[in-house]
Amino acid sequence: MMAKFIELLKNKERVMKWKAAIFLSLLLNMTLSGWAQAGEIAYTVRATELKARPFSDAATLGRLMQRTKVEVVARRSSWMQVQVDGKTGWVKMLSLKFNQASNKAGSSGLATLFNVASSGGSSRSATTGVRGLSEKDLKNTKPNPRAFAVMQTYAVNKSEAKQFASAGKLNSQSVGYLAESASGGAR
Amino acid sequence: MKAKIILLALTLASTGCANQNFDMANLNLDKVVETAGKVYKGPAQITEAQEIAMGEGIASNLLGAAPLLDNKPVQQYINQVGRWLSVQTERPDLPWHFAVLEDEDVNAFAAPGGYIFITKGLLIRMKSEAELAGVLAHEIAHVLKRHHVEAIRKSTRTTLITDLAKESLQQSGVGPALTNLIGVGTELYARGLDKGDEYEADRMGVVIAARAGYDPYGLPAVLLTLQGMNPTHSSLALMFKTHPALSDRLDLLDRTMSGALDRFEMQPDLSPRFTSVMNNAGSGN
Repeated sequence: MMAKFIELLKNKERVMKWKAAIFLSLLLNMTLSGWAQAGEIAYTVRATELKARPFSDAATLGRLMQRTKVEVVARRSSWMQVQVDGKTGWVKMLSLKFNQASNKAGSSGLATLFNVASSGGSSRSATTGVRGLSEKDLKNTKPNPRAFAVMQTYAVNKSEAKQFASAGKLNSQSVGYLAESASGGAR
Repeated sequence: MKAKIILLALTLASTGCANQNFDMANLNLDKVVETAGKVYKGPAQITEAQEIAMGEGIASNLLGAAPLLDNKPVQQYINQVGRWLSVQTERPDLPWHFAVLEDEDVNAFAAPGGYIFITKGLLIRMKSEAELAGVLAHEIAHVLKRHHVEAIRKSTRTTLITDLAKESLQQSGVGPALTNLIGVGTELYARGLDKGDEYEADRMGVVIAARAGYDPYGLPAVLLTLQGMNPTHSSLALMFKTHPALSDRLDLLDRTMSGALDRFEMQPDLSPRFTSVMNNAGSGN
């Protein structure tokens, strides 16, 4: 029963392969390097320094007032590379807030791509009506043991996880959990 | 002196006697038996095996609400990232499973025992593996601290937990008490956890990501992205209802992280690997 079901999924994947191939030429032209093509608009939520490099002790290129409009180019850890008034520099990520209008769903381009990817059918069991993760849907849901069994097949063991980490040059670090910030609750 | 001591002893004896008479007169036998029973059973605890059984049922229920994304490479990738994160924690040997749900909502869920879900709607708004790791690590933290188990325990009758204990001894499979608790656990996603649990999962999540060798700022970067979405969008409704405000979470993370995690800022975010997996998402192999 289970094997049959997995076989069925594999067939679906084969169908998906040629469907995806049709779109591949379109996708090849897309460079999905995150921010680069997005050019998302953000503004500063506090006065902040524009730095030449993403470090606190880097040279200061200028001082941005609160609510200065910037264009986000890239992120490096806690720093965002931005363009403002013809200058390119770095500001602390959390001194920024995105402009809600400029950051639409799937601005990275992945949304379109996933719609293609998932159009080949899905492993949903035969049910009627639209389901989802709304409050009401969660209260009326029924178990889906078939999907649960499929989920189990995706599991990765510890040694596979370690291989995956070395392939990405990820090194384990020793660091303790952080205490609640001294100043307490939210502002 | 001697007389005083004797007097005191007599007084104590007589009051003791009186009390005893009083107690005997008001004895409620049922109540005594009930109290004795409670003391005997001790505080209701949920074992790890019960936690996992509960998680399996809750996970199956979540999959009844939203199907799995039909994409093996993406599902395996999520498991690789998630499993590597779980190895860095105090519960590395739980049956950790990760899955992407085919749903436009922006959300992520943790079920007891190590079943973690993230929606497609959230995944497509991410830009790097470190961002994915930050979100998965937040969910992993909920499992580590048994936040859902505790919330389930607090919102049900004590007798249901003791019934579960009896059930676990008597039978294998899903009995009525477990079924009941799985139902409670599933509805919990519509209500959400305590705010304190969410802040704690944020604080732990960034550390787990750092331990796994990632840029620790992936989680705040995702929260910042979500802050940039139209807040009235229906895809955000449940997440907003069940979590503290994004600005509060970002404020707290900012204050907690700055200084403490500076030395991990040079760790990779692996955006090329993330982009490559997502770009090939349609190939189905």
